[in-house]
Amino acid sequence: MTDTYLTDVVRQAAGRECSRAVSYPIEASDIRKWALAAYWPERPPQFLIDAEVAPEDFDPFAWGPASYESLLPDDDGSVIVRHGINERALGFPEWKFRAGLNGGMNCTYGVRMHVGDVITDTKSCGEYTERQGRNGLMLITQSISTWTNQRGELVKRTINSGIRF
Amino acid sequence: MTVNVGDAIPTFTRATGFANWNRYAAVNDEFVPIHMDDEAGAAAGNGGAFGMGNLQWAYLHNMLRDWMGPNGEILSMEVQFRSPNVKGQTVTAHGVVTAVEGDVVTLEVWTDQQEGTKLAPGTAKVRLAQ
Repeated sequence: MTDTYLTDVVRQAAGRECSRAVSYPIEASDIRKWALAAYWPERPPQFLIDAEVAPEDFDPFAWGPASYESLLPDDDGSVIVRHGINERALGFPEWKFRAGLNGGMNCTYGVRMHVGDVITDTKSCGEYTERQGRNGLMLITQSISTWTNQRGELVKRTINSGIRF
Repeated sequence: MTVNVGDAIPTFTRATGFANWNRYAAVNDEFVPIHMDDEAGAAAGNGGAFGMGNLQWAYLHNMLRDWMGPNGEILSMEVQFRSPNVKGQTVTAHGVVTAVEGDVVTLEVWTDQQEGTKLAPGTAKVRLAQ
Protein backbone atom coordinates (compact mmCIF):
# COMPACT_ATOMS: atom_id res chain seq x y z
CA MET A 1 0.00 0.00 0.00
CA THR A 2 1.42 3.34 -1.03
CA ASP A 3 1.65 5.89 1.80
CA THR A 4 1.74 8.81 -0.59
CA TYR A 5 1.90 9.41 -4.32
CA LEU A 6 3.20 12.92 -3.85
CA THR A 7 6.95 12.55 -4.06
CA ASP A 8 9.15 15.62 -4.41
CA VAL A 9 9.38 14.99 -8.15
CA VAL A 10 5.60 14.99 -8.48
CA ARG A 11 5.15 18.11 -6.39
CA GLN A 12 7.87 20.03 -8.20
CA ALA A 13 6.43 19.24 -11.64
CA ALA A 14 3.39 21.48 -11.16
CA GLY A 15 3.41 24.20 -13.77
CA ARG A 16 6.03 22.56 -15.97
CA GLU A 17 5.39 22.70 -19.73
CA CYS A 18 5.46 19.21 -21.21
CA SER A 19 4.57 19.29 -24.90
CA ARG A 20 3.53 21.51 -27.76
CA ALA A 21 1.33 20.42 -30.67
CA VAL A 22 0.36 22.47 -33.72
CA SER A 23 -2.79 21.75 -35.71
CA TYR A 24 -3.31 21.68 -39.44
CA PRO A 25 -5.19 24.77 -40.67
CA ILE A 26 -8.85 24.42 -39.77
CA GLU A 27 -11.07 23.64 -42.76
CA ALA A 28 -14.79 24.18 -43.08
CA SER A 29 -15.30 20.44 -43.50
CA ASP A 30 -13.60 19.83 -40.14
CA ILE A 31 -16.17 22.05 -38.44
CA ARG A 32 -19.07 20.45 -40.33
CA LYS A 33 -17.96 16.93 -39.42
CA TRP A 34 -17.56 17.92 -35.80
CA ALA A 35 -21.07 19.41 -35.74
CA LEU A 36 -22.64 16.41 -37.48
CA ALA A 37 -21.08 14.09 -34.88
CA ALA A 38 -21.88 16.22 -31.83
CA TYR A 39 -25.51 16.73 -32.85
CA TRP A 40 -26.10 13.28 -34.41
CA PRO A 41 -28.69 11.99 -35.29
CA GLU A 42 -30.32 15.39 -35.66
CA ARG A 43 -29.07 18.13 -37.96
CA PRO A 44 -26.79 20.76 -36.42
CA PRO A 45 -27.72 24.45 -36.53
CA GLN A 46 -27.21 26.00 -39.95
CA PHE A 47 -24.43 28.33 -38.77
CA LEU A 48 -22.33 25.27 -37.94
CA ILE A 49 -23.00 23.82 -41.39
CA ASP A 50 -21.99 27.17 -42.90
CA ALA A 51 -18.85 26.62 -40.80
CA GLU A 52 -17.11 29.99 -40.85
CA VAL A 53 -16.68 29.97 -37.06
CA ALA A 54 -15.98 26.85 -35.03
CA PRO A 55 -17.99 26.04 -31.92
CA GLU A 56 -16.14 26.64 -28.67
CA ASP A 57 -15.58 22.94 -28.00
CA PHE A 58 -14.37 22.09 -31.53
CA ASP A 59 -11.16 20.01 -31.66
CA PRO A 60 -8.74 20.84 -34.51
CA PHE A 61 -6.50 17.92 -33.47
CA ALA A 62 -9.06 15.21 -34.18
CA TRP A 63 -6.81 13.06 -36.37
CA GLY A 64 -3.53 14.16 -34.88
CA PRO A 65 -1.38 17.30 -34.96
CA ALA A 66 0.59 18.64 -37.91
CA SER A 67 3.63 18.81 -35.64
CA TYR A 68 4.40 17.73 -32.11
CA GLU A 69 7.35 18.31 -29.84
CA SER A 70 8.03 17.24 -26.32
CA LEU A 71 9.46 19.91 -24.04
CA LEU A 72 10.93 17.36 -21.63
CA PRO A 73 14.61 16.36 -21.83
CA ASP A 74 13.90 12.64 -21.31
CA ASP A 75 11.34 12.43 -24.12
CA ASP A 76 12.30 12.40 -27.79
CA GLY A 77 8.70 13.15 -28.77
CA SER A 78 8.42 10.05 -30.95
CA VAL A 79 5.25 9.02 -29.12
CA ILE A 80 2.57 11.70 -29.33
CA VAL A 81 0.86 12.19 -25.96
CA ARG A 82 -2.30 14.09 -26.84
CA HIS A 83 -4.38 13.23 -23.79
CA GLY A 84 -2.63 14.20 -20.58
CA ILE A 85 1.11 14.48 -20.12
CA ASN A 86 4.10 12.16 -20.31
CA GLU A 87 4.52 11.30 -16.63
CA ARG A 88 7.35 8.87 -17.28
CA ALA A 89 9.44 11.57 -18.94
CA LEU A 90 8.74 13.82 -15.96
CA GLY A 91 10.34 11.14 -13.78
CA PHE A 92 7.15 10.23 -11.93
CA PRO A 93 7.01 6.83 -10.17
CA GLU A 94 5.59 3.93 -12.21
CA TRP A 95 2.37 3.64 -10.25
CA LYS A 96 0.08 0.64 -10.54
CA PHE A 97 -3.60 1.54 -10.44
CA ARG A 98 -6.75 -0.58 -10.67
CA ALA A 99 -8.74 2.13 -12.37
CA GLY A 100 -8.51 5.60 -13.82
CA LEU A 101 -11.44 7.97 -14.32
CA ASN A 102 -12.02 11.26 -16.08
CA GLY A 103 -12.78 13.47 -13.12
CA GLY A 104 -13.85 16.64 -14.84
CA MET A 105 -13.01 19.65 -16.95
CA ASN A 106 -12.75 23.35 -16.28
CA CYS A 107 -12.42 25.56 -19.33
CA THR A 108 -12.16 29.29 -19.96
CA TYR A 109 -12.66 30.41 -23.55
CA GLY A 110 -10.99 33.28 -25.36
CA VAL A 111 -11.28 34.13 -29.05
CA ARG A 112 -13.19 31.82 -31.38
CA MET A 113 -11.54 29.51 -33.92
CA HIS A 114 -12.14 30.29 -37.60
CA VAL A 115 -11.52 28.54 -40.89
CA GLY A 116 -7.83 28.88 -41.70
CA ASP A 117 -6.69 29.23 -38.09
CA VAL A 118 -3.73 27.17 -36.88
CA ILE A 119 -3.97 26.22 -33.21
CA THR A 120 -1.08 25.53 -30.86
CA ASP A 121 -1.75 23.38 -27.80
CA THR A 122 0.77 23.69 -24.99
CA LYS A 123 0.30 21.08 -22.30
CA SER A 124 1.50 21.61 -18.74
CA CYS A 125 1.51 19.52 -15.62
CA GLY A 126 -1.01 20.74 -13.08
CA GLU A 127 -1.14 20.19 -9.36
CA TYR A 128 -1.36 16.58 -8.20
CA THR A 129 -3.16 15.86 -4.93
CA GLU A 130 -4.37 12.77 -3.08
CA ARG A 131 -7.11 11.80 -0.70
CA GLN A 132 -8.49 8.74 1.02
CA GLY A 133 -11.66 7.28 -0.49
CA ARG A 134 -13.71 4.09 -0.53
CA ASN A 135 -11.12 2.59 -2.86
CA GLY A 136 -8.14 3.52 -0.75
CA LEU A 137 -5.68 6.30 -1.44
CA MET A 138 -6.70 8.10 -4.62
CA LEU A 139 -4.45 10.21 -6.80
CA ILE A 140 -6.08 13.28 -8.34
CA THR A 141 -4.19 14.54 -11.38
CA GLN A 142 -4.38 17.72 -13.42
CA SER A 143 -3.15 18.49 -16.88
CA ILE A 144 -3.50 21.97 -18.30
CA SER A 145 -4.01 22.59 -21.98
CA THR A 146 -3.55 26.11 -23.35
CA TRP A 147 -4.61 26.76 -26.93
CA THR A 148 -3.51 29.82 -28.86
CA ASN A 149 -4.04 30.79 -32.49
CA GLN A 150 -1.48 31.91 -35.08
CA ARG A 151 -1.71 35.46 -33.73
CA GLY A 152 -0.89 34.31 -30.21
CA GLU A 153 -4.42 34.98 -28.96
CA LEU A 154 -5.78 32.70 -26.25
CA VAL A 155 -8.43 30.33 -27.63
CA LYS A 156 -9.03 28.38 -24.45
CA ARG A 157 -7.40 27.09 -21.30
CA THR A 158 -8.61 23.76 -20.02
CA ILE A 159 -7.81 22.00 -16.78
CA ASN A 160 -8.49 18.27 -17.08
CA SER A 161 -8.76 16.33 -13.83
CA GLY A 162 -8.25 12.61 -13.45
CA ILE A 163 -8.79 10.20 -10.57
CA ARG A 164 -6.79 6.99 -10.15
CA PHE A 165 -6.88 4.32 -7.49
CA MET B 1 -34.15 37.88 -24.77
CA THR B 2 -35.29 38.45 -21.18
CA VAL B 3 -33.54 36.17 -18.70
CA ASN B 4 -34.25 35.83 -14.99
CA VAL B 5 -32.68 33.89 -12.16
CA GLY B 6 -34.45 30.55 -11.86
CA ASP B 7 -35.27 30.26 -15.55
CA ALA B 8 -34.78 26.77 -16.97
CA ILE B 9 -33.46 26.86 -20.53
CA PRO B 10 -34.56 24.35 -23.21
CA THR B 11 -32.97 20.94 -22.75
CA PHE B 12 -30.91 18.94 -25.26
CA THR B 13 -31.59 15.18 -25.39
CA ARG B 14 -30.02 12.25 -27.21
CA ALA B 15 -30.35 8.47 -27.02
CA THR B 16 -26.77 7.26 -26.65
CA GLY B 17 -24.69 4.28 -27.70
CA PHE B 18 -21.99 3.29 -30.15
CA ALA B 19 -23.57 5.24 -33.01
CA ASN B 20 -23.00 8.51 -31.12
CA TRP B 21 -19.75 7.56 -29.47
CA ASN B 22 -17.98 6.31 -32.59
CA ARG B 23 -18.92 9.41 -34.55
CA TYR B 24 -17.68 11.61 -31.73
CA ALA B 25 -14.45 9.61 -31.41
CA ALA B 26 -13.71 10.50 -35.02
CA VAL B 27 -13.89 14.25 -34.39
CA ASN B 28 -12.36 14.36 -30.92
CA ASP B 29 -9.40 11.98 -31.08
CA GLU B 30 -11.09 9.55 -28.69
CA PHE B 31 -10.54 6.11 -30.17
CA VAL B 32 -10.11 4.75 -26.66
CA PRO B 33 -10.91 1.07 -25.92
CA ILE B 34 -13.19 1.83 -22.93
CA HIS B 35 -15.47 3.77 -25.28
CA MET B 36 -15.43 1.25 -28.13
CA ASP B 37 -15.13 -2.19 -26.62
CA ASP B 38 -17.38 -3.82 -24.01
CA GLU B 39 -14.59 -5.94 -22.57
CA ALA B 40 -12.39 -2.89 -22.02
CA GLY B 41 -15.29 -0.97 -20.50
CA ALA B 42 -16.12 -3.88 -18.18
CA ALA B 43 -12.49 -4.15 -17.10
CA ALA B 44 -12.70 -0.47 -16.10
CA GLY B 45 -15.64 -1.32 -13.85
CA ASN B 46 -18.55 -0.05 -15.92
CA GLY B 47 -20.17 -3.27 -17.11
CA GLY B 48 -19.36 -2.48 -20.73
CA ALA B 49 -18.26 0.31 -22.99
CA PHE B 50 -19.30 3.78 -21.91
CA GLY B 51 -19.51 7.20 -23.51
CA MET B 52 -16.93 9.95 -23.43
CA GLY B 53 -17.04 12.65 -20.79
CA ASN B 54 -16.23 15.02 -23.63
CA LEU B 55 -19.51 14.11 -25.34
CA GLN B 56 -21.41 15.07 -22.18
CA TRP B 57 -19.42 18.30 -22.38
CA ALA B 58 -20.47 18.71 -26.03
CA TYR B 59 -24.16 18.14 -25.23
CA LEU B 60 -24.00 20.86 -22.58
CA HIS B 61 -22.41 23.21 -25.11
CA ASN B 62 -25.04 22.27 -27.72
CA MET B 63 -27.80 23.10 -25.23
CA LEU B 64 -26.32 26.53 -24.49
CA ARG B 65 -25.68 27.22 -28.18
CA ASP B 66 -29.20 26.22 -29.21
CA TRP B 67 -30.61 28.53 -26.54
CA MET B 68 -28.40 31.55 -27.29
CA GLY B 69 -28.25 31.33 -31.06
CA PRO B 70 -25.22 31.91 -33.28
CA ASN B 71 -24.20 35.24 -31.74
CA GLY B 72 -24.08 34.14 -28.12
CA GLU B 73 -20.75 33.19 -26.53
CA ILE B 74 -19.84 30.50 -24.05
CA LEU B 75 -17.28 32.13 -21.75
CA SER B 76 -16.49 29.25 -19.42
CA MET B 77 -17.70 25.89 -18.19
CA GLU B 78 -16.67 23.45 -15.51
CA VAL B 79 -18.15 20.01 -14.93
CA GLN B 80 -17.42 16.92 -12.88
CA PHE B 81 -17.96 13.50 -14.40
CA ARG B 82 -19.83 11.70 -11.64
CA SER B 83 -21.47 8.72 -13.32
CA PRO B 84 -20.79 6.91 -16.61
CA ASN B 85 -22.98 7.23 -19.70
CA VAL B 86 -23.64 3.59 -20.55
CA LYS B 87 -25.23 2.14 -23.68
CA GLY B 88 -28.93 2.65 -24.13
CA GLN B 89 -29.26 5.63 -21.82
CA THR B 90 -31.16 8.69 -22.92
CA VAL B 91 -29.03 11.65 -21.87
CA THR B 92 -30.48 15.10 -21.33
CA ALA B 93 -28.56 18.33 -20.81
CA HIS B 94 -30.18 20.86 -18.48
CA GLY B 95 -29.49 24.45 -17.47
CA VAL B 96 -30.97 26.80 -14.87
CA VAL B 97 -30.03 30.47 -14.60
CA THR B 98 -28.37 31.34 -11.28
CA ALA B 99 -27.14 34.90 -11.93
CA VAL B 100 -27.61 37.68 -14.46
CA GLU B 101 -25.17 40.60 -14.72
CA GLY B 102 -25.90 42.68 -17.79
CA ASP B 103 -25.51 40.37 -20.79
CA VAL B 104 -23.48 37.78 -18.82
CA VAL B 105 -25.50 34.87 -17.48
CA THR B 106 -24.35 32.16 -15.07
CA LEU B 107 -26.11 28.81 -15.12
CA GLU B 108 -26.09 25.59 -13.18
CA VAL B 109 -25.78 22.92 -15.85
CA TRP B 110 -25.88 19.15 -15.79
CA THR B 111 -26.58 16.05 -17.80
CA ASP B 112 -28.69 13.22 -16.48
CA GLN B 113 -29.99 9.90 -17.70
CA GLN B 114 -33.62 8.87 -18.15
CA GLU B 115 -34.09 7.95 -14.48
CA GLY B 116 -32.75 11.30 -13.28
CA THR B 117 -29.29 10.24 -12.16
CA LYS B 118 -26.91 13.11 -12.73
CA LEU B 119 -23.96 12.23 -14.93
CA ALA B 120 -22.09 15.52 -15.24
CA PRO B 121 -23.02 18.48 -13.03
CA GLY B 122 -21.32 21.85 -13.27
CA THR B 123 -21.62 25.53 -14.03
CA ALA B 124 -21.34 27.68 -17.13
CA LYS B 125 -21.04 31.37 -17.91
CA VAL B 126 -22.27 32.80 -21.20
CA ARG B 127 -22.62 36.18 -22.88
CA LEU B 128 -25.90 36.70 -24.67
CA ALA B 129 -26.07 38.42 -28.03
CA GLN B 130 -27.00 42.11 -27.82
